[in-house]
Amino acid sequence: MHQAAHTHGGHEAAYESGWARWLYATNHKDIGTLYLWFAFAMFLTGGVMALCIRAELFQPGLQFWQPEFFNQLTTLHGIIMVFGAIMPAFTGLANWMLPLMLGAPDMAFARMNNWSFWLLPPAAALLLISLFVPGGAPAGGWTLYPPLSAQAGMGMDLAIFSIHLLGLSSIMGSINIITTILNMRAPGMTMLKMPLFAWTSLVTAYLLIAVAPVLAGAVTMLLTDRHFGTHFFSAAGGGDPVLFQHIFWFFGHPEVYIMALPAFGIVSQIIPTFARKPLFGYVSMVYATCSIAILSFMVWGHHMFAVGMPATAQLFFMFLTMLIAVPTGVKVFNWIATMWQGSMTFETPMLFAIGFVCLFTVGGFSGLVLSIAPVDTQMQDTYYVVAHFHYVLVAGALFSLFAAVYYWLPKWTGYMYHEGRGKFHFWWSMVWFNVTFFPMHFLGLAGMPRRIPDYALQFTSFNSIASVGAFCFGLGQLLFLYNVIHTIRGGVGPAPARPWEGGNTLEWEVPSPAPHHTWESPPDLTTVRRGLIAQAVEHEGESDEPKSENRA
Amino acid sequence: MQLALKHKNQTLAIKLAAIALLMFGFGYALAPFYGAFCQFLGIDRAEASLTQAGAALRIEFDVNVPEGLPVTMQALDSVQTGKAGGVVKARFMLRNDSDQALTVRAVPSFAPVRAAGLLRKLECFCFDALTLAPKESREVTVVLLVADQLPPEMGAATLSYSLQKVM
Ligand code: HEM
Ligand SMILES: [Cu+2]
Repeated sequence: MHQAAHTHGGHEAAYESGWARWLYATNHKDIGTLYLWFAFAMFLTGGVMALCIRAELFQPGLQFWQPEFFNQLTTLHGIIMVFGAIMPAFTGLANWMLPLMLGAPDMAFARMNNWSFWLLPPAAALLLISLFVPGGAPAGGWTLYPPLSAQAGMGMDLAIFSIHLLGLSSIMGSINIITTILNMRAPGMTMLKMPLFAWTSLVTAYLLIAVAPVLAGAVTMLLTDRHFGTHFFSAAGGGDPVLFQHIFWFFGHPEVYIMALPAFGIVSQIIPTFARKPLFGYVSMVYATCSIAILSFMVWGHHMFAVGMPATAQLFFMFLTMLIAVPTGVKVFNWIATMWQGSMTFETPMLFAIGFVCLFTVGGFSGLVLSIAPVDTQMQDTYYVVAHFHYVLVAGALFSLFAAVYYWLPKWTGYMYHEGRGKFHFWWSMVWFNVTFFPMHFLGLAGMPRRIPDYALQFTSFNSIASVGAFCFGLGQLLFLYNVIHTIRGGVGPAPARPWEGGNTLEWEVPSPAPHHTWESPPDLTTVRRGLIAQAVEHEGESDEPKSENRA
Repeated sequence: MQLALKHKNQTLAIKLAAIALLMFGFGYALAPFYGAFCQFLGIDRAEASLTQAGAALRIEFDVNVPEGLPVTMQALDSVQTGKAGGVVKARFMLRNDSDQALTVRAVPSFAPVRAAGLLRKLECFCFDALTLAPKESREVTVVLLVADQLPPEMGAATLSYSLQKVM
């Protein structure tokens, strides 16, 4: 391929080897790899904490942990999964794939890219160190509500500092993503012809730039309340802890879309590939993405129905929240319509993508239930909420990430993974995920509160089921690790440049594994047109038939 | 990268960083905005300015140190006037007169007893035990929220603290 010719031109020799390659990495592929491994390590760390929680909840009574430590476990699990695993994994994917998909040689700011990754390990270290300081890790939930967080020990200060670093990293990463997408697309690739993954990454990056600083502000106020005598949130000084909740959720609700939108982008790449049809309703997908992003700024109040709020405000937040179901529904229908009458095959990425669509819809429905203010006052802080957000975050964000890894692994490593083991990983995860989290709906409806280390006897059986499910689910992720390592070591054989018949975006134009340098000269118009994202353009392209003669 | 693109990228990055900075400020701006909003809607935020005019209560602060405990304690604002719905803050001085660290706890009591229902402690040094280093003196506070409705016959209430040594 013409692409390969470029990459042997002396650039390869320039990059360092060993640890220096990674420490000073400025290549978007190296940085993407770093992000993905870091996220996986954090996923295992947070996962072990989840298993510690589930072990304690296997039976009523206190078995393993003191209540204080149990609270630290839930808090760290939440913070680590959200900020350490899911978000960096999406940033890693964006780093790896965006330049490839857009026909750009690299991300816009290579040095800053290196910085935004290397802020993460110290941030993670601060969180973990907090377990060993007097008073232990923060134990006020991942939402860090005062007054609990205002009174906690120094572990809280470490967590606040860690959140500052994580936020800084996200902002720098977002600036890079936005600049790359807006300024560095291949000629001929207009905004409405970009792959949808680029669109969702773009919108997500904007969300992050808007809300990560708000969280940074909130925890900074918390910090000055704790140490410098300000009274933003202290009732005794004329402040108000409820103010913290408003500011936190002004960040927090968009944050859940920061974890969902890239997932939407990923499945919008995968489903057309394996259905061998262009994405149905590409443009409406773009509009839906944008409207979800805008609406997400206006619904934070639905996290505070139980705090006390004027009835008009409750109605306002309730209806706006329900409104989000509309663009989300548009997306789900478009995915289904894409599959409709397609020539589908069910390789592992497709299985995870379909699993995503099904389970995310369940999570969406339980979310719709919670959006009803009078229902929420009943359900708030019960296990129903835990079930809801794990359907969205595990079946949504995590499954889409698995789908992405299996989808692009051949491009990353140059080898094919073992399809049988990939499918086994999917079915194993699918089954045990539901065993873990589905019973939690019932626990919540029956009134079991969240964040408790011990519970009343009538909740025993469902909790035991959930714990067994969690351990099996956790075990299955070691298979994922095995699959990835096996693939890196050669898998079941070399992968062609285009391992998926239906894949036609630009990343499939470069050889597998993707050489260290790609698209040093942008892809020519024909290549872009051919990939023309089979998404949007093929429709209007019907009249555009001569396309085929370009192919020669 | 060609120079033109590099320049274009940098301009965009600066704009984006400016948005981030503005949003950081926006987080802080929410504090006064929230205050104004609650006031406008008349939502009670435990603020003195929302006090119902009129009813007032004389509040006296008293301290007791048991014999033999080498601590000096003194009420710095021993008499105050509380308005219905308002907040009252009182300071005390605590001093450890001995050469050893001491841990003490203050046990509050109200007279008359039903004043306890009318004066709610929002924050009090008596919530926790206090450890005083040798010769250390420290100022501590209690913050009381006065009830919205005060019975007219109650002219005064006393909040008294007795110190105890914690072993
Ligand atoms: C797949 C295995 C997982 C299991 C078994 C699991 C289990 C749990 C459990 C038992 C809790 C405590 C609920 C409570 O008592 O309130 C919890 C909380 C939480 N989990 Fe997970 N979880 C898993 C994965 C994830 C992932 C992938 C995320 C991604 C973001 C996540 C995000 C959270 C959050 C945000 C909380 C709330 C923490 C808090 O209340 O402060 N979890 N999880
Ligand atoms: Cu929300």
